[in-house]
Amino acid sequence: MKRIQDVQSHEAEDLYYPTMCTVKNAKQITEMEKWYELEMPAGESLGHGPGQFVEVSAFGIGEAPISVSSSPSENGTFELCIRQVGTLTNVLKNYEQGDTIGIRGPFGKGYPMEKLFGKDILIVAGGIGLVPLRSLINYVLDNRTEFGRLIILYGAKTPAELLFKEELDEWEARDDVELHVTVDQGDENWTGNTGVITTLIPGLDLKLNTTVAAITGPPVMYKFVVMSLKSKQLPDDQIYLSLERRMKCGVGKCGHCQINGVYCCQEGPVFNYVDIKPLEEAL
Amino acid sequence: MECFSLLRSDVPALIDHVGAYGEVVAPHGKGDVSYSFEVVRDSNDVVLDYNRTLLPLKKLFLPPVEKLMDFSLKNKSFDPVEVAIKPKVYFGVHSYEMQSILRLDHSMLSGSAESNYFKRRQESRFIGISFTPDEFHFSESVGILIEEMEGFDLFLNEVDGDFQVYVLTDHGQELLQGFTKMKATQPEIVEERKFKKKIRYHYNRLPRVFQYAYHSDVWADVAERCVGCGACTLTCPTCFCFDVQDEVTVAAEDGMRQRSWDSCMLTTFAEVAGGENFREKAINRTRHRLYRKFKYITDEEGLPWCVGCGRCTAFCPAGISLPDIVNDLIQEDEKAQYHRSVRV
Repeated sequence: MKRIQDVQSHEAEDLYYPTMCTVKNAKQITEMEKWYELEMPAGESLGHGPGQFVEVSAFGIGEAPISVSSSPSENGTFELCIRQVGTLTNVLKNYEQGDTIGIRGPFGKGYPMEKLFGKDILIVAGGIGLVPLRSLINYVLDNRTEFGRLIILYGAKTPAELLFKEELDEWEARDDVELHVTVDQGDENWTGNTGVITTLIPGLDLKLNTTVAAITGPPVMYKFVVMSLKSKQLPDDQIYLSLERRMKCGVGKCGHCQINGVYCCQEGPVFNYVDIKPLEEAL
Repeated sequence: MECFSLLRSDVPALIDHVGAYGEVVAPHGKGDVSYSFEVVRDSNDVVLDYNRTLLPLKKLFLPPVEKLMDFSLKNKSFDPVEVAIKPKVYFGVHSYEMQSILRLDHSMLSGSAESNYFKRRQESRFIGISFTPDEFHFSESVGILIEEMEGFDLFLNEVDGDFQVYVLTDHGQELLQGFTKMKATQPEIVEERKFKKKIRYHYNRLPRVFQYAYHSDVWADVAERCVGCGACTLTCPTCFCFDVQDEVTVAAEDGMRQRSWDSCMLTTFAEVAGGENFREKAINRTRHRLYRKFKYITDEEGLPWCVGCGRCTAFCPAGISLPDIVNDLIQEDEKAQYHRSVRV
């Protein structure tokens, strides 16, 4: 038990004050999602790892947990991509270059990169799940020689909802990236795969001892992706998942993000599958 | 440890005396049947025999509504709210209540230690008092005796209508400095105060019961009766979950960010934008509350996070009893074990 006598006064922190960041660039990239490049007050770096999140704050509205979308190797600024789905995010829609946004964080545990070096990285991104995974993808690309294969599976509902189209084209063009994109429903111009994301998995040729999977998507997706990967014989401890919960405070206090006894904002949002398998509320 | 005798009629004088250190907070009667921790204006108003206050002492360390900052919408800037460290004496606190504060300390100070809570806890002194258990108290079942003195600076044990004052810390000694109405005495053990409500197992067996109780039918039964009002968590002395909201003034130029107590028993507690609710059914929520008290933190810290005050049961509008739920789970567990053992 932590006792009050054990705490020195300098250790007690003001946990809820945001840092005011400036919007350097902003762009509505699909009907529902807007991309922002933010700058810290003194141009310092955010200091995040791939998979971590920040609490984004707009005065008068409130706060919401949002994944950092840029690679930590980009210095000076960081990027968010926000779907307009709630009260706060619909207000953030109106934020443009020069506006200020409050940020707390980075919070949580991201991907344990020290365990990922040298491995084949299999990205499984469903819909807006590409946003946090883009941070990992770009980190791998920035340090390309440190990793084995980079396989990206990305599924969206329709071609119009595909995010980061220019980057998708770049990844497609690279020899050292294996990109597979699918949509649930194509349009008249769509020539690629159709079907849910799990349809991309059976055809993969994976080296089981060196492949690490990173999965992010809507809550319903995880069980099915894990099942498909397990039918490929991928070991449980080589599967990482980033889970969505209501991380209101980000500092393990407010209780909203609990998955059984685990605070998602502290132990997650990125979990090894072995660690969440026993948690009934996880998937 | 020193022990002194103190006449009941001299207790107001003691309250006045310790008031020299700082503001004294003590239980007061509220209406005909309720009690509340309030700042002492007249030491004769302090109630010495009370069963429990409606709101636990946590309300003073983690206020029901607390301003975190003022902000300006125009300038998109904020002003921090400074919490002042004030010496305070909490008088007439029961042992389970003190234990709940020690548990709150762990919750608010482990990991990232929160400064607002920390500052409110600084310079606080606690004077305990014994109590006579009513039909709802069951703190003995979770390992907390009436005379448990951990955390207190002074403790008043009622013996034959008067009190024995135990001096437990240097701070307690300082509070008594110059107080002359007490005489040194030998500590006596009071035997007649018995708990009426009990959990059938020793608390160290409960995590095992809970380990196998996740899919128990008991939860559906509780969920069916639960009205989802959140009274159990609001009156719980160890519950600390909160929500944060922004309030804007009518002129819409500035406002404040404040946090308020929240409850995992409320429907939207685990809901995210887009409508996904990770604890959608009442059965998920009732189970979560009890697992928070007897399994999750208990597995890590070795103590139940329930202190047996009986508030959640006494104030539940649906008459749901926490110790009865635990006893039902124990009974189910015993049945399951019996069936396992007779299976050939």
